Amino acid sequence: MRLSRRDVGILLSAAAALAAARPASAQNKGKIVYMIPTLLDEFQTESQKAVESVFSSLGYEVTSVDAQNDAARQLSQLEDLINTRPDAVIINAVAFDTIVPGIEKAREAGIKVLNFDRLITSTEFELTSVAGTVEIGEIAGNEATRLLTERHGSPKGKVLQILGDPGDAYTLDIQKGFEAVMAEKAPEVEIISKAALLWEPTNAGRAFEDQLLVTQDIDLVFCHAAHLTVPIVSIMESKGMKPGEMMLMASNGAPVGLDNIRAGWQQVEVEQPTYAQVYGLAMFIDKIMAGEELQTGSYKVLGLDSTLTVEDWGPNLKIPGAAITKENVDDPRFWGNLQFPSVPVDVVK
Amino acid sequence: MIAATPAPSASRIRLVKLLLDHLVWFILAVILLICSLSIEHFFQVGIFINIAQHATYVGLLSLGLAFCVIAGHMDLSIESVMAFAAMLAAGLTAARGSPFAFQVNTWVSLLLVLGFGALAGLFNAILIVKFRLNAFVVTLAAYIAIRGLGLILTGGRSIYGLPPDFRAVANTDLFGLPMLVWITIVTYLAFGQILKGSLFGRRVYLVGGNPVAPFRAGINVERVLFGVFILSGVIAAFAGWLLAARTNGATPNLGVGMLFEAFAAVVIGGVSLRGGIGQLSGVFAGVLLLSTIDTAINVMGLDASYMQVIRGGLMLIAVLLDGVKTEIAKRLG
Repeated sequence: MRLSRRDVGILLSAAAALAAARPASAQNKGKIVYMIPTLLDEFQTESQKAVESVFSSLGYEVTSVDAQNDAARQLSQLEDLINTRPDAVIINAVAFDTIVPGIEKAREAGIKVLNFDRLITSTEFELTSVAGTVEIGEIAGNEATRLLTERHGSPKGKVLQILGDPGDAYTLDIQKGFEAVMAEKAPEVEIISKAALLWEPTNAGRAFEDQLLVTQDIDLVFCHAAHLTVPIVSIMESKGMKPGEMMLMASNGAPVGLDNIRAGWQQVEVEQPTYAQVYGLAMFIDKIMAGEELQTGSYKVLGLDSTLTVEDWGPNLKIPGAAITKENVDDPRFWGNLQFPSVPVDVVK
Repeated sequence: MIAATPAPSASRIRLVKLLLDHLVWFILAVILLICSLSIEHFFQVGIFINIAQHATYVGLLSLGLAFCVIAGHMDLSIESVMAFAAMLAAGLTAARGSPFAFQVNTWVSLLLVLGFGALAGLFNAILIVKFRLNAFVVTLAAYIAIRGLGLILTGGRSIYGLPPDFRAVANTDLFGLPMLVWITIVTYLAFGQILKGSLFGRRVYLVGGNPVAPFRAGINVERVLFGVFILSGVIAAFAGWLLAARTNGATPNLGVGMLFEAFAAVVIGGVSLRGGIGQLSGVFAGVLLLSTIDTAINVMGLDASYMQVIRGGLMLIAVLLDGVKTEIAKRLG
């Protein structure tokens, strides 16, 4: 097919008209890029939706890039982005330290850099919004201690801890927090740790099934992500276990964990407050863009008591994670219930 | 004066050839023996059943891949086909997280999943055979694209809560062995027979050994290659359906890394990457060998990262042994 000059002219005019017809609000306040570590994880897909929805509602144009769990790829993506001059970048890092050179370059280029979900302490950000992975592990440690005490009268027994990929700092931080609390509050408890390579659920199921034969008296299984519980519950059922016979915990707050609690298979899910973490960043974005200083103190983020402090890595908004149990599992603030908050962002003036 | 070396007897040659042809089985036996003697709790029926059961998915992927490699090609898309098939099966039948507004019967889901596998294989075959594109590039592209399709289908969410008859496929025992183990054994026996005993199987070897000669002999090489890629897709999809049954659903990262395990099993199993050589029995032994080492590491309490090192080492040893085997076979005539 050959196009005449007139056809080309019509097409170009149409393209220009389409470009002009894009929503004005998306262009008003600036361009933000959200850097996602992976999309093969429900927590991440939900946080992507939350970031895109919340920041768009404030008048920013938001795009997302997925690093496919590859730290080197994420660094390259950030270096490429610097050339496209976005106004701000929200980093959700694959590897905490690998991304630091890129962050420094971006800030030197005048791009505002905000950190989401995974705490990086070795460089400075305009704002960090985290629940804290070590803290998630600590909450899990406290809950495990409680569950074992309820079962045995004192904190003792055996815990099978199923980590994610052993090369992922996220899972190692949860392990650190969990084991520190267990060492302090439940020193008699034996912890057996196994990894699910690449966070792949079949690997978690396999580790669990092998351990059932080797260590018959496991009291509690703690998975570092809710999706890892899917094959474990299936194996429990196929072995004829009853719900609650072997206790189960997980972290990140995904829908499957909440459904496990409702069905009685799981006792605790430690939630990362995804929505609140996103709202926390959005509350301050206008001030950050204006180059204004953020005031330290207490803030209510989606009803959660959160604290803004200034740390070596810049302003840090800490939002508490929560232990989800049978009693509070239906609370709509938990992202695993997939009820996106309808309240507008309470922008800090 | 140099004394002449006496020629080996015919029975000795047969013994050496038998050993060479089934080297992986001997290595597997030695590894099992070492693990049983040296690892506490390893020597028990339950552990051996676990080894066989966990070998199901990689075992089936390796089977389809072995057909491709023997035919002188490769199929990198199998892992994604398997994962998408699991998501599709779960989506069509599960109570929770399904992207579909309807549900179908377990067996209808199997048919749809196998149909998807056939389509994926057909797509690969058209591009490779008809458009003469490189199989590595085509199937790599399919590997990436189908994983993305899975994400689009599920929206990144887990799908779970399969109907009892679906789950029974993975959770039922028959004569003391899990159904999954029987399915794997029967599939290997059936396709082993097809590869060794059928006209199609013999043509797969011929095409892989030298695609020009069969063409000159009047064999429809394109048809053989279409068959091989469709078979690979269908078997990968079947593995995905079984994986969904086993895990009571599917997650977006289901099966990540299994492609490399399948390749390792095929190479360790003695299938030549140059095509035309290999047996499914060797591939099955390769799968069991990898599964044994995985289980041993789990039971021993070793860091899971060692598994990667051991897998890589085993592949290198397998390639080296392949060269030695070929040299010895040449000398023996």
